[in-house]
Amino acid sequence: MAYRAEAPDGGWGWMVVLSAFFQSALVFGVLRSFGVFFVEFVTAFEEPAARVSWIASIGIAVQQFGSPVGSALSTKFGPRPVVMTGGILAALGMLLASFATSLTHLYLSIGLLSGSGWALTFTPTLACMSRYFSRRRSLAIGLALTGVGLSSFAFAPLFQWLLNHYAWRGALLLVSALSLHLVACGALLRPLSLAEDPVVGGPGAQITSLLRHGPFLRYTVALTLINTGYFIPYVHLVAHLRDLGWDPLPSSFLLSVAAISDLVGRVASGWLGDAVPGPVARLLMLWTTLTGVILALYPVAETPTGLVALTVAYGFTSGALTPVAFSVLPELVGTGKIYCGLGLVQMVESIGGLLGAPLSGYLRDVTSNYTASFVVAGAFLLAGSGVLITLPHFFCFSAPASKPQDLVTEALDTKVPLPEEGLGED
Amino acid sequence: MRALQGLRGRRAPSLPLLLLGLLAAVRRSLEDGLSTAAPFTSLPVQEEMTTKYSNLSLESHSISMTEHSNMPVEKNITLERPSNVELTCQFTTSGDLNSVNVTWKKGDKLLEDNYVVNATGSILYTQYRVAVINSKQMGNYSCFFGEKKQQKGTFNLKVPEINGKNKPLITYVGDSVVLMCKCQDCLPLNWTWYSGNGSVQVAIGVPVNDKYVISGKHANETGLKITQLSEDDQGTYWCHAIFELGESEGHVKLIVLSYLVPLKAFCAIAAEVVLLVAIILLFEMYTQKKKKPSDDGKELEQGEQLKLDDSNGIENSGPRHRKNESVGQ
Repeated sequence: MAYRAEAPDGGWGWMVVLSAFFQSALVFGVLRSFGVFFVEFVTAFEEPAARVSWIASIGIAVQQFGSPVGSALSTKFGPRPVVMTGGILAALGMLLASFATSLTHLYLSIGLLSGSGWALTFTPTLACMSRYFSRRRSLAIGLALTGVGLSSFAFAPLFQWLLNHYAWRGALLLVSALSLHLVACGALLRPLSLAEDPVVGGPGAQITSLLRHGPFLRYTVALTLINTGYFIPYVHLVAHLRDLGWDPLPSSFLLSVAAISDLVGRVASGWLGDAVPGPVARLLMLWTTLTGVILALYPVAETPTGLVALTVAYGFTSGALTPVAFSVLPELVGTGKIYCGLGLVQMVESIGGLLGAPLSGYLRDVTSNYTASFVVAGAFLLAGSGVLITLPHFFCFSAPASKPQDLVTEALDTKVPLPEEGLGED
Repeated sequence: MRALQGLRGRRAPSLPLLLLGLLAAVRRSLEDGLSTAAPFTSLPVQEEMTTKYSNLSLESHSISMTEHSNMPVEKNITLERPSNVELTCQFTTSGDLNSVNVTWKKGDKLLEDNYVVNATGSILYTQYRVAVINSKQMGNYSCFFGEKKQQKGTFNLKVPEINGKNKPLITYVGDSVVLMCKCQDCLPLNWTWYSGNGSVQVAIGVPVNDKYVISGKHANETGLKITQLSEDDQGTYWCHAIFELGESEGHVKLIVLSYLVPLKAFCAIAAEVVLLVAIILLFEMYTQKKKKPSDDGKELEQGEQLKLDDSNGIENSGPRHRKNESVGQ
């Protein structure tokens, strides 16, 4: 098999971007819009809302913790069969959920089965996309991740319409059919053989070499810290606004505004990440520091204009850090190990994501307002950006030496960090 | 004895005086009755009613109008249990208050008594009192001011409203469903359910069977549980709340679908996905086949060039070989 010396940076790569766009829509858009179903489940199964929301929590946890499995399998078999299998699993989970007679059925079918399906789809696709692009990697990732934001807008009304016409059983059946499109997206992922592939070896060898790679470990720590603070505004912003005396409708409208500026931030940062020379890690540090500062300023803002301005800025900067976070990984560990690296990073940073929201809630319960929560979130982000400074070539002002030949020689030392999709999920 | 005689004696000459006084009073009352029959004759009746129903609660409602009001003024009053009701209409006019004619009507029937009229300053007040004890006293009570240009104010006495569900409930064949009707702040005496086919309402649950179970956790709500749904169970269901003062109803619409309905949509979308996957994979195989013959052609060219290079020197073949490899991919 002939190996490419360089990433195509276009051509079929744009089809991979399209596939990643739809996949992020079908995985995270569905997860984000699932709240519409929860209301129906509460009345249908007569369970409290807290127990019903465990469905999404289990799904997200399985998706994140299962990422290394997805990436290890992709390294061995290529992304296409893994993603297609993941699509079938995700659709099967929803199909079985439509026959559920108790909440436990939903935990197992949507949480476990669909969750593992999602674990097999998202991470391999993002890694595959990182391999297809090198010069325009950030832009490609930014464009693909816009799928998450746009689908949240589209799926929430769509799901409500499905519920009105088919009740929750029929609606789940049709969401299962929707999730089958993940299989079609997987078919688009043509395997790419890059020069460093034979050097880096199989998944086991990759994972062990990644775990001994200093920069990769530091990067993982940084992303975990960032992930801990990242979700807090999305989870608590509306509650914080209600505490300040806002009505429910303007509060959720402000969240939509944040989602729009998040979208703009992702694309802008993607373009910027490619346009600016030097390691992308510096841009990541810039956006992370800005986001941390903005979060710390939240308790100070009392006026509506101040809060709106802060929320728009937060949406932009937090959206901006996602594609760049993913682009740093291939630069660190090379595109050969990107599948395994991405999986490992996703798994570790998910711990931060899972801890962040409950910690913030606990702080709120103890101090009776969200000041401490926002400040702690900002502190986590600033700590993460601090760790980023320790990455290699941080203070270089020339283009990073990420040529394939160098990566081949460095392949044995570096591990490919995978983009944190954790930052993209909500 | 002398006292008694004195009394008798005193009584005897005062009897004609008493009779005269009585006659004068009757005449006065008749005169009063002629001028304002309402305040005089209604008073004893009012007192009688209030003493009879004094243990009932009192509800007072008032509306005000001016002579220039364009729209008739209405007020909705919700009554759940028997109570005394006071309805007051205020009329503000710049003209002469005494010349304004005041009448009360229930529905279309003119009311003769139970109301008073008085005027303070430039406002004319009229108050109607009624003891509402059953559904006969419910309805619309209107006060009218003036003759030529009548101003009308209406009090609508109604039983509380029942909330069913505005959106239709969607269920599937074989499922079971609970239809709920709820009353916000009221406690009906009893609930009954009817299923409606057009305008005909058929009572449910009269023969108690397994299919229909009427239950309710609290007094202000009722639930009709229907098991083993079939498509015949589709339609509108009415819940009637029975109060002392009347009945109120709400409705819930039930739609029963068969599993085939979403299943057809699912199969259509699944077929579309299979088609997409087939197109993508076939397209890839087609482009790869296109590449292969051209690859063969290029390899032949490479071979020829190598032969040429061999004659020049071996060092040239190395880079060219690598370049051809990358092009061939």
